[in-house]
Amino acid sequence: MISFSNVNKWYGDYHALVDINAEVKQGEVVVVCGPSGSGKSTLIRTVNRLEEIQSGQLQFNGQDVHSPMGHRELNQLRSQIGFVFQSFNLFPHMSVLENITFSPMRVRGVSRDAAQAKAMALLERVGLAGKAQAFPAQLSGGQQQRVAIARALAMEPPAMLFDEPTSALDPEMVGEVLAVMRSLAHEGMTMMCVTHEMGFAREVADRVWFMDAGSILEMADPKDFFSHPQHPRAQRFLTDLRAH
Amino acid sequence: MNDLIQIVSDNWLLLLVGQYPNGPLGGLACTLILSVLGIALAFPLSVLIALARISRFALLRWPAAALVYAARGIPLLLIILWVYFLVPMLIGSNISGFTTMVVTLVIYEAAFLAEIVRAGIEALPKGQMEAARALGLSYPGAMLYVILPQALYNMLPSMLSQFVSTIKETTLGYVINVHELTFAASQVNNQLLTKPFHVYFILAVIYFIVCWSLTEVTERLERRITTRRQGGGRAQVRSAQAPSLSGARP
Repeated sequence: MISFSNVNKWYGDYHALVDINAEVKQGEVVVVCGPSGSGKSTLIRTVNRLEEIQSGQLQFNGQDVHSPMGHRELNQLRSQIGFVFQSFNLFPHMSVLENITFSPMRVRGVSRDAAQAKAMALLERVGLAGKAQAFPAQLSGGQQQRVAIARALAMEPPAMLFDEPTSALDPEMVGEVLAVMRSLAHEGMTMMCVTHEMGFAREVADRVWFMDAGSILEMADPKDFFSHPQHPRAQRFLTDLRAH
Repeated sequence: MNDLIQIVSDNWLLLLVGQYPNGPLGGLACTLILSVLGIALAFPLSVLIALARISRFALLRWPAAALVYAARGIPLLLIILWVYFLVPMLIGSNISGFTTMVVTLVIYEAAFLAEIVRAGIEALPKGQMEAARALGLSYPGAMLYVILPQALYNMLPSMLSQFVSTIKETTLGYVINVHELTFAASQVNNQLLTKPFHVYFILAVIYFIVCWSLTEVTERLERRITTRRQGGGRAQVRSAQAPSLSGARP
């Protein structure tokens, strides 16, 4: 579904992604973890080309994401990739319902009625049916992130990307967002999640990728990764995590 | 004090509308029409200039920047004189002082409004554009439906202040015989000859009242926008755990 081959990215002299070779298979849940600054977010943002790469190839659903293409083609491609941001990025001037119906109507040309019916079903699913008319600023962080997930799902993407979806949340709201992600995973959604929630990784992930300094140092089953990590850097990372 | 009242009661119509209907519309009416026209025509232009200023194409960025820097660095009076003498040479026929003034104000205010609009756009979190693009929207679509509505709304108070400045700037029309409020007051002064202090005091009071009331409106608007941004506008549906706002929202 998503495959990286020899992907490299530089910010000037800084080598942000180093020879990434990896694949997220259909229906698979991959958790990307690693210390901050290791390139996790950069990696996930290359998938829908919020970040450009300088060499290598990145395929999404059979399409070469970073090949030269027209604006229209790129927008079309992006509309098929669900992306959830750390800071939610709901549109504050639109109601919850408008946030969710916006892209199906504008990008796909779905009728208002159809878009709203779909949005209400999605809000039901993330447990916020009563908030359709609310504005983002009236919602808690956890609620906003659940709306953001619903907004991404409204485009019926074949895969969802999560870029630290719970890092901006107060601890008591992390659970409600993870619950939504867990249910998505159980329904067979292909997911790539950058997260520090190791409990979620252990329970839900099919694969864990451990990154440091722009490289993927280890790809493993969560069970193996957490019980006996191979790479010394991964061992140190897990020890540091347990220390607090 | 009696003199003041006498002058106002003798000349209020002249100060309000000039010699209209026996001559061109002037006085306060002309001042307000000039300001409204200036800002209203400058506004769409300013959005385009702002978009050009942040464009990734140098071909758009440079002329827009040049215009903005020129407007910031050259006194308005000079631009008025330029337009007054240059435009007739270019188009081959004379234009009225009123048209000159409108053209000048549009150019000048568009440059200043453009900087306000640009600031509004750049003050929004980068994630707004990214989220719109990630959903598959084109850059113009994201600008039109996501960025500009927020940026312009947030910048309403600044734009209104710019309108207040514009009202004061119309006084410069006096030098090219535009029959606006200052011109009307000087006509009154020329008739009376002995009461310049009184006449120009009245003039100052009129400007002050207009500008001060607009400033009040601006401040009220600003407070309203602040509360709305914090989600207080619709307190009845506000969630109980909302206070954190999570830092990311403007």
